[in-house]
This record gives sequence, structure tokens and C-alpha cells, in this order.
Amino acid sequence: MTGVRIAVCVSCVLHAPFARAQSISPITTEAAVSSGASTDNETAVVATQLRAFGEIGPQIRYYGEAAWATSSDVASEAFGAAYPYGNRVQIIESYAERVFQPAGKLVAVRAGRFRPPFGIYNASDHAYLGFLRAPLIRYDSNFALSNNFLEQGAAVTAGVPWLTVATSVGRPGDVGAAARQPGLDTVLRAQGSAGPFIVGLSHIRTSPNLTGSWVHGRMEFTGLDLRWMRDGVQLRGEWITGRPFDGTTTTGWYADAIVHRVAMGPVTAVARIERVDYDTSPPFDLHKRRQTLGARIRVGQGFSTQVNVLHQTGQPDTYGAVALDIGVTYSVRMPLR
Amino acid sequence: MNGTGIQSVVACLAAVLSLTRADGQTRGFDLHGTARAGDHALRNAVVWLEAANLPGGTAAGKVLLDQRSLNFSPRVLVVRTGTTVDFPNNDTVLHNVFSFRDGKRFDLGVYPVGALRHVTFDKPGVSRIFCNIHPNMWAYVIAVDSPYFAVSDDSGRFTIASVVPRSYTYHAWRAGAEELTGTWSPADDATLTVHWR
Repeated sequence: MTGVRIAVCVSCVLHAPFARAQSISPITTEAAVSSGASTDNETAVVATQLRAFGEIGPQIRYYGEAAWATSSDVASEAFGAAYPYGNRVQIIESYAERVFQPAGKLVAVRAGRFRPPFGIYNASDHAYLGFLRAPLIRYDSNFALSNNFLEQGAAVTAGVPWLTVATSVGRPGDVGAAARQPGLDTVLRAQGSAGPFIVGLSHIRTSPNLTGSWVHGRMEFTGLDLRWMRDGVQLRGEWITGRPFDGTTTTGWYADAIVHRVAMGPVTAVARIERVDYDTSPPFDLHKRRQTLGARIRVGQGFSTQVNVLHQTGQPDTYGAVALDIGVTYSVRMPLR
Repeated sequence: MNGTGIQSVVACLAAVLSLTRADGQTRGFDLHGTARAGDHALRNAVVWLEAANLPGGTAAGKVLLDQRSLNFSPRVLVVRTGTTVDFPNNDTVLHNVFSFRDGKRFDLGVYPVGALRHVTFDKPGVSRIFCNIHPNMWAYVIAVDSPYFAVSDDSGRFTIASVVPRSYTYHAWRAGAEELTGTWSPADDATLTVHWR
């Protein structure tokens, strides 16, 4: 209940100046307040995100995001991996980026704290235009790549608009329950686009987030991601394979359809199929499948509600076969200066 | 005729001559105006003039609606019907650009940083522009059948350049309000004020 009060207060304070502050400013702030409920373990969550972004100098962009979130059941997968549900304010991303575009080429240098450039990784892209849960391959509890993994370091992107290569070097700066062991992380990603297609190939080499006498070696994943969009229909997906540590293998994928056609008005329909397989000595292996149908409905300016129906199977059987998730989000923007 | 009368005639002649080019065609002047809503100045109001037999053509040079720092810039863009607008992604993330409601309907898909896509606004009307990835990104493109148009600045001021002096029907638009319309002639008033009460 305290969380709800905090969320409501934040939204009220931020809404007041919005009416007279609609033009573009060098720095824009954005607040989003979300609450949700799921039939999975009767979970309820409340979250607030504060973001600041814009230009802080010639061709120098800044992006910062802090989040506070709490859940009635932190062990539940409902709404999981969207934010760390630690009931405290945490800095998620904070980085500056300089972009150069010499003669049709593209070079960007980023420094600070940011999500690893692996797959469909950007916060605004993966979270969650109609989906209330991250893909199974983005949960650390599935021995895969958590959305809460963050890098503290530098990244360089170079190429031309239709073909770029990005690399990042850093140390883990994870938020949430699963923190990787200290060490040097490297991520390499190539991305190409042609017409309505965008395809990416990523590789990450980092430290495991598990500790124990049985955990040896490095975490290493390779992934392929593909997007296609035309006339309001977006298809996208990721496939990853690798090892969370020596002697184990995790392979998984998801495919999304996001449909927002003219006749649908404020409704965006979404569907996802996905699976993840963590292979190790039985009975410690894990296999999950999930299908999601849902919708995001824009209720009014800044207000949206999302509904997801999920069917899930697999072991360990820690959740119901069918779940209903409902979420409401209010977001508002205002210039800082 | 007294001195004041002579001065007035000379001033009128000078004004007429200043609007007449060597080729005999009438030269335009810059129409300055103000947009207001209630008792305060209004930015991002669009004002345009219409009349029969207006000069043809579209604006020279590139017209662009930029994507930077999770925003469209400018938020309100007015173009002449038939103009092609560039939508470059000058941000650090992927963007999508679409217009589904009114005016020109299109979806440019998702495209990467540094890429450029175009749309020709071939019919007059208001197009509401959004990004399907970033719900807080929005802009308006207003296509008008006239070479005489402007958008008001932060202080509510606007300037319509090179207007040929004659009578016009003016139109004024702002987001979320009724369109204003009326008649305006430089013979009646040297400036134009559009006022949503």
C-alpha cells in the first residue's frame, strides 16, 4: 500500500507542469507508474520508473533511468525481469553517448552503465509493448541472460546505417537478485538491415551469476535476432544458445507478433510463443514453454492498460498452467531545462 | 494639399512601388502575426492563407522531421501539399514512424540509427505521427494547399514570408482545438492575430 501511495504521489507531482511544457527540450524527463496483478501466486506489483534523456553537449546524448518496484511475491515469474523488485530506488542505466555521422557512416561511443548490447536489448524496445513479462530467455532464474544484467564500461558502434558492429567492454553492474561475479565482460554484436528486415548476431562472454563449488568457467552466449515490420505488423524474435557455466547448456527462443493496424484504433494485439531448455544432470535440468496472447489498450494520453493470458508448461512445475496478467501504466513527460 | 497630405500620398506610392518588381509582378511582403489562447501566447499554432490562383510549387530544400533523444523534432511541422518530408533516425535507438488516424496514413516500419525514410504528403490535412516503440513520441504534420504558412514560436509570434498583397481566407490550427478561419487583407490590417478564446 505504501508503494501505491508513492506511485500516486509521483504521478501527481509530475503531471502538474505537463500542460504548459510540451515542446522539445534538450533534456526531457519521463515518469512511468505501473501496477499489475496476476493470477500466478496471486501476485501484485507496483513500479515507478524515472528517466532523463537528451543532449548535454554537441552530439552528446545522455540517458538515465532509475526504478523502484515492489512485488507481493518476488519469487513469482509474474512481471519478472522488468525491474528489480527490491523495494528500493535503483539506478538502472546511466550513460553518455557521442554519435558521429561522417559522410554517411556511423560511429557512436558510449560510456557509463548500460544494458549489454546483446539481441533485442534496448529497454524501450523489449519492455513491453503489450507484453507484461520478459521472454523466458531473459530471466536469470532460467539460467539465461537476465534483463537485469548491466555493464559498467564503454561501448563503440561503427558502420553504416544498414550494417553496424558494436562491441562493449565492462564489468558487471547488475541489479536485482542475480548478480554476476566480478570480471571482465565483452559483448560483440553485428546488425544489418534491408528493407523491412533487421537482423542481428550477438555474442557475450561474461561471469556466471551463480556461485557454488559446481560453478566453473565463464558464461557465454551467442544469439540471433530478427525483426520485420510492415503496415503496423511487427514480427520479431530471438534465439540464444550457450552455457551459463561449464558443463551446462541453455538454449531458448521466442517469437513475437505485435499488431497495430489502422482499424484497431487504440488497441495493439500481441502474441508470443517461446521456450527455454537448460540442460544439465537431471533432476536439475529445466524446460519451459509458454504461449501468450494479449493486448495493450491506450486508454487516454499517458494511460494504457495491458492484458495477457498465458499458457505455460514445463518443469519444474512452479506455476499454474494458465495465468492472467493485468497491468496499468501511466506515463508523463516534461522538459528539465 | 497640405504637407501631411503630400507625405501620405508619397508613403502610399512608395508602399505600392515597393511591392512591384521590375518585371511588373507584385512582390510579396512578410506578414507578422501572433497566436493566442485565452490571455497567453501560444506556440505551435499553424496559420495559413488561402485564395484562388495562388502560386504553385513546393518548398525548395529538404523538409525534415527529426528523431532525436526519444522525441520528434519539430513537434509541429507545416508543409505545402505535395511536399516530401524526410524522417531521419538521428537517435541512438531504433524507431518506428507511423500515422494511422487522420491525414496521410503510413507506417515506415522499424529502422535503425542513421537510416532515412520519406513520406510525401499529397493531400491536405493533419497527420498525427507516432512511434510504436516509444509511446511518448508524437508530432503533427499539417499539409496545406497554400504557399503561405507558418508555425508560431515560443512567444506566439509567426511570420508568413513573401505574401502577395490581396484578400485571403486565413486558417489557424492548434492541437486539440477547433480550427479558426476568417478573412484577412493587408488593406484592413498590417498584422494578423489568431485568438482561441
